[in-house]
Formats: sequence, C-alpha cells, structure tokens
Amino acid sequence: MSLLMLYLLLAKATLTSFSGTTSFPVVRHDFVEHYHQLTDRQLNAAIATGQAAPGPNGLYIVSVGYFVAGVPGGCAGLLAVITPPFLIIPMLQFLGRWTDKPRIQSALRAVTIAAAGLILSTTLPLARDALNGPLPMTIALASFAFLLVKRTSSVFVIAAAALAGLAAQLLS
Amino acid sequence: MLDEPVNVERPTLYHVFLTYFRLANLTFGGGDAIMAAIHTELVTARKWLSQEGYSISYALARITPGTNVLAFCAGSAWKIRGWPGAIAAVLVASVPAGIVVILLTAGYGALQSSASARAAIAAMVAASVGMMGTAACNLLRPYLDRRRWAPAVVIAGISFALLQWSAMTPIRVLGLAAVTGIIWRIPE
Repeated sequence: MSLLMLYLLLAKATLTSFSGTTSFPVVRHDFVEHYHQLTDRQLNAAIATGQAAPGPNGLYIVSVGYFVAGVPGGCAGLLAVITPPFLIIPMLQFLGRWTDKPRIQSALRAVTIAAAGLILSTTLPLARDALNGPLPMTIALASFAFLLVKRTSSVFVIAAAALAGLAAQLLS
Repeated sequence: MLDEPVNVERPTLYHVFLTYFRLANLTFGGGDAIMAAIHTELVTARKWLSQEGYSISYALARITPGTNVLAFCAGSAWKIRGWPGAIAAVLVASVPAGIVVILLTAGYGALQSSASARAAIAAMVAASVGMMGTAACNLLRPYLDRRRWAPAVVIAGISFALLQWSAMTPIRVLGLAAVTGIIWRIPE
C-alpha cells in the first residue's frame, strides 16, 4: 500500500469521526476486512499503544500507520490525525451560526449515538481475539468498570494492566 | 475573526508554542482536562483569549471531524495568533505524543521475543478492549435520559446490527444516522 493511499484511508477514518476512538470502525473495515493490511491482534495492539501514550486519544491511528508501513506510515498516520482539526477554522469564520440549527444539532447527536453502536460492534471480533482466558477477561472487565465509574487517564489503567500481566507471568 | 486580547499585548508565536506544549502534553486526564487547563491559563490567568472566543472554539471543536482536543487547540490558538498560532498549537499538541506512539509500536515488535513482555502486552491489549467498551458507553450515556433514550437505543441498536450482520460500511451507517437525526429530532 502506498503512503498516499495509507494517508487517504486514515484521513477518511478521522474525517468521519467526532472524537478519538470513533474512527475505529472505519479503520477496522478498511485495514482488516477490505485491504487485509492488519490483523485484529495488531489493531488491538495499536489501540493499547495509543492509550498508553500521553496526549489526544486518537493517536492509535499513528500506530496503525506504523504497523502498515513502518516509520513513514506512522508519519502518514500522524498527518491524518492532525489534518481534520484545522476544519474548525473555516467553521469559526463561516459556519458558527449554522451549528445552532436544531436539525443540524440533532443529526450530529444521531451520528454520535450511531458511533457508540459501531464501536461496540467492532469491538466484538477484537474481544474474541484478545480475551482468550480468565486473566484477560478479568482485566478487560476491570478496565471497563473502572473507567466507567472513574474518569481517569487511560495511561494509568494501561500501566496497571501491564503490571498485572507481568505479575501473573512471574507467579505462574 | 481573531480575538482582541483583554487588557494585554498579543502573545508572540513562541509563547503560544510553549504554552500549548505544556498544557497539551503535561495535563493528565484526557481532552476535557486539557481544555479546562487551557481555560484556566489562557482565559482566566493570561487573558489572551476572551470567554466568548473560548466558548465558540469549545462548541465547534465538538462537531469538527477528528480529535476534539486538537480541533480545540487549532480554534483557540487561531483566535489568538491566526493560522501560524493554529499550526503551532496543533503540532505541539500532537507531534511529541505521536513520536511516543511510534516508539512504543516499534518496541512492540521487539518485545514479542520475551515471555514477560508478551504477558504484559496481552494484558494491555485486554485492557484496551475494556476501554473500547467504556468509550461506547460514554458516548451513549448522556442520551439515556427520559427524553432521548428511545432514539438513542434505536439508533445505536440499528447501527450495531447493520455493521454486525449486513454488508453496510461504517460510513454509510453514519450517513444513515445523520439523515435519521434530521428527520427524528433528538432534543438537546
């Protein structure tokens, strides 16, 4: 896959999402199902890597780019992450008043809600690949419950999970 | 149009660069925490940005495609220093963390030869599956109130089903959801 194609596919995913991880269903569809450039395991690792780093949530796209084409791919991924946010500037200049329209607001709410359904649907095959024993299942459930109750940085949860996995390995 | 700074001189590009670097990379707690820190520093303390400029940037960042916090950095810094400010803010908010992600991903392959590292990575991957579930719940949760639970459950449920059991692509599902939202008004 060429770098331009990689950038365009990742940019398509970020341009059709409205927060860090809502690009995920589009990424999985294009890179795992359609072009077979990634496995579910690599996509899972990309998400974990993105969550382990500081900064914005959507940076797992950089990791996806790296898995497909090394460092140049990672740079293409980073470019795909930073391009769409600049759309806010023409919006500030020209569209401010349109965003107050109730039907536009309603459409955006519907897209956000749909993204929740899409993320759940896309997470199922990843869960089948990653949750292959009692320990991974416990860690996934604990991460889910903890972040649902307490809105803390995901970096801490990823670090705690890594320590738990390491401890389990050393004790076995 | 650009914001007129309140009672202070317009900051230099260097100051914008340093301030966004610090706020975006050293604030823990995700996008909302970063945007709150920017309010404290730029609106309340330094008075580089007006409350109105902050509010419109915050509102539009929510509906700008891509990562909300980067859109917010672009919008708020554009209000302060125009296009050079916006480009500087987005780059310092994303490039350092992007380099960390590339290094971590490169390390992922190298670490696969160690059993301990594989165990730690498997646990991190399991945690990320849980986080994806949380992300979906957090997107849906604000809409599960008395006035909006019905469209929320129907739209999320149908989107889930269409992706799971039909050949529809995610983008088409999102387009269908947008049309549904225009026809079936979801209250504020």
